[in-house]
Amino acid sequence: MKTESIRSITFDAWESVARIRQHGTTLFAAALFALLGLMVGVPVGMVVLMSLRTGFPGETVPFTLANFVAVYSDPGTYEILVNTLLFAVGSVSVCVFFTVPLVWLLTRTDLPLKNTIYVLLTVGILIPVFLRTIAWILLLSPRIGLINRWLQAIFELQNPPLSLYNLGGMAFVQGVSFVPGAFFMLAAAYRSMDPALEEAAYTSGVSKLRTFLKINIPITLPAIAAVMVYLFMTAIAVFEVPAIIGLPARILVLSSLIYQSTTPTIGLPAYGMAGAYGAVMLVLGLVLAYFYVRLVKEGKKYTVITGRGYRPRQIALGRWKWPALAFVFIYLSMEVFIPFLVLLWASILPYLQLPSMSALSTVTLKHYIAIPNHTGALPFINTAILMFAVPTATMILSVFISWVVIRTNVSFRGLLDTLAFVPHAVPGILLAVGLAYLGLAYRNVFPLYGTILIIILAHTINWIAYGTRTTNSVMIQVHRELEEAGKVAGASTARVLWRIIVPLIAAGIFNSWIWIGMLSYREVTMALTLYTRKNVVVSTIVWQFWGSGWIPEVSALGVILILFAVIVVGALRFALSRLGEVGEAS
Amino acid sequence: MIRVRSLRKSFVARQGTVRALQGIDLEVLDGEFCVLLGPSGCGKTTTLRCVAGLERPDAGDIEIGGTLVSSPAQRVYVPTEKRDIGMVFQSYAIWPHMTVFHNVAFPLTQGHRRVARSLVAEKVRHALKLVQLEGLADRPATDLSGGQQQRVAMARALVTEPKILLMDEPLSNLDARLRDQMRLELKKITRSIDVTTLYVTHDQAEALSLGDRVCVMDGGEILQVGSPHEVYAKPKSLFVAQFVGEMNFLKGKIQGPAVIHSPVGVIHAPTPSDCPAGTEVTLAVRPEHLDLAESARQNSHSIEGKILSKTYQGDRALFEVEANGVTLMVKLTGDSGFNVGQQVRVAFPSDRWHVYAKESVLE
Repeated sequence: MKTESIRSITFDAWESVARIRQHGTTLFAAALFALLGLMVGVPVGMVVLMSLRTGFPGETVPFTLANFVAVYSDPGTYEILVNTLLFAVGSVSVCVFFTVPLVWLLTRTDLPLKNTIYVLLTVGILIPVFLRTIAWILLLSPRIGLINRWLQAIFELQNPPLSLYNLGGMAFVQGVSFVPGAFFMLAAAYRSMDPALEEAAYTSGVSKLRTFLKINIPITLPAIAAVMVYLFMTAIAVFEVPAIIGLPARILVLSSLIYQSTTPTIGLPAYGMAGAYGAVMLVLGLVLAYFYVRLVKEGKKYTVITGRGYRPRQIALGRWKWPALAFVFIYLSMEVFIPFLVLLWASILPYLQLPSMSALSTVTLKHYIAIPNHTGALPFINTAILMFAVPTATMILSVFISWVVIRTNVSFRGLLDTLAFVPHAVPGILLAVGLAYLGLAYRNVFPLYGTILIIILAHTINWIAYGTRTTNSVMIQVHRELEEAGKVAGASTARVLWRIIVPLIAAGIFNSWIWIGMLSYREVTMALTLYTRKNVVVSTIVWQFWGSGWIPEVSALGVILILFAVIVVGALRFALSRLGEVGEAS
Repeated sequence: MIRVRSLRKSFVARQGTVRALQGIDLEVLDGEFCVLLGPSGCGKTTTLRCVAGLERPDAGDIEIGGTLVSSPAQRVYVPTEKRDIGMVFQSYAIWPHMTVFHNVAFPLTQGHRRVARSLVAEKVRHALKLVQLEGLADRPATDLSGGQQQRVAMARALVTEPKILLMDEPLSNLDARLRDQMRLELKKITRSIDVTTLYVTHDQAEALSLGDRVCVMDGGEILQVGSPHEVYAKPKSLFVAQFVGEMNFLKGKIQGPAVIHSPVGVIHAPTPSDCPAGTEVTLAVRPEHLDLAESARQNSHSIEGKILSKTYQGDRALFEVEANGVTLMVKLTGDSGFNVGQQVRVAFPSDRWHVYAKESVLE
């Protein structure tokens, strides 16, 4: 009885919502547009504003172009721009080198262990980039790197033979880290290609190699190009690798330069300069985003959805099976196994040393036990808040935006969709710098500086683009006729929403909720830019430990971070696979 | 000529192994139009794809034009691109990044059957003329309607003048009127160039009108091969009787040689040789072979019935008539004055009956 009445109350509430909707859809969409416009526009506006001002945030000074003059008359700036481009080109090349063969092997051939490889690629996404970077430093640093010390011991070398502290090293670590994301993007494009296009070439008497060159490559070229542009855009914005490897080696790129300008080790923060550097970054990002959108559209023109579930023919690898598998596992070692094992090894020793019997005899767990003494509970509480608040806020906004974009005929829905995509083009570090400036200069109207809320806000803005992309595709999949069939069956709008739409989209929404939670969990760039003592999170703690040179403690915390992520995602995915059977039945 | 001998193929699916083909024997003569007809999952597309070389059979031989192209036993497998074939896909598979001209020219410029550059334009023009698309050579392939894409796919398949043409439900993505029109044209085109054709469809009307020969398939086996008339008029098994055309089914019991007892009276029809008296059988008769009359006629076996429904189709009408507890479908051509609820006599033909040993397929 009781549940019945509660149900009817909720239904009444829904009914009235539905009634308001008849008149209020446009109003609602307009409010949403305004909110999103503020969330995206204000931080970006702040970056532009601070580039036109000198002095500290909050000082009222007349607008000036002095920052631009200072920045762009300095030849050092151009060197940094060249570095940025070289780093971006390098990391994209490394990524493509691994990704294209991986996609082909996993989608078109009879490679064994495919499921395991898929799982390991997902684990690769979960390992924070800064931990992987730290692990590679522990291996390849000229001073402490294990591989260097080992090679020196074997070949009795005077000097360390290898070094990670150069553009090549940076591009290598970043490129390897890009692979899983690029893989999943490209694999989706490959799968949407009708295998009959390939088979039509074979039946035309065209050889497999020629078919690959003349049919597969041209048809998937827009998709490959789109992924490359996307990666290039990201490579210009990333901060972790340039900071951890680049800063000690004095190799600056735009992102680390902006960070250094706002949080200098010596001297005063120069927000004006950061703004001037940021402006060029912003322009680059927007231009690349424009090309990305164009390429994605181009690519869609080529995909033929047959709607017929026949499996693409798998090419038999034959005796190439083992070399192919070796290639995949060499990559996975660089991405997952080696970083994890190095961190694990470093975390159980008093100090970093080569594996040996004497090293094994000193194994200890004291660094794990000591972690709470160093950190206290606050970072863990803050991180937990982030992991819950960010995906929830992002998904609620995304569902509303997608509903307007996909399901209504509001005139400016296309513009809303574009606006939701803009954060893709704005580098996270700029977003955070903009928000920091806002918090410092206008603390009366925006009193969030130094709180966890400002990090939640930054993360939410940053991932609204990702969130709306997934909710868009989830909502498109629920055919309008499913909704209409419910109405024709006599169910109210509320009942249709609750009994038809929600069950169909729940699995997809929950899936990206998990992902955004994990992205927020491993994010460090924005958290660090907005960092004060009160809003410290686990990722910024790792950063601080590393800055203090506490290698075993960093490693122990890193191992915990990775294991926690893998366990959470593994468990939720398992739960979701049960739920998904219902959701994907459509 | 295509010759297929005891072709077998199984797929490993999540639910276990699916035996898609369980020993297919098939021979298509030069210039013949052969249709593989069956419900989805019967193995017709798999057979076609094995002939094309897009699937590798587990066992059995395939010969194209007298050349062995596939035989696991003899370790022979000629890859698709080296077989002298043309193929039209269900989704047409028109390459979206090329123009109509380049799509059709592709087999001539990139393929195993390349021709001199100077001949390409002429051959493409000829192929496009064959499918009546002469003016559209420079169009991007993505700007075509479904019917036009279908024609481009035909032109591309025929441009190399292959020995055999394979078609996988080529008309199923077209709307009804266009489908009828293309069906006529398809037949004309294949006739005019005298190509050996293997054609897959689940549409029995398409099969009967197109094929010189029809193979009815089910469960990975060929159940019957024959001319369209043979398959329609003399279905060898209950499945073929059920799948090709409409049919009335009645339960019956053999009383003696060629004498069967049924709910509509005693029927005289040849009984299966392995069925002694007392065996239960299934009787089948086509709706168009039954007749309706106001009153009983002489020399004809008829019973009293009542019209339950009438479906008027212009040139003919379909009646459901209840008689002695069974419902019979009766098809009358032209206009007929019978109406729902009317008491009539259902007249049965003296021949035209088919008798099948009781099979579990039918309730």
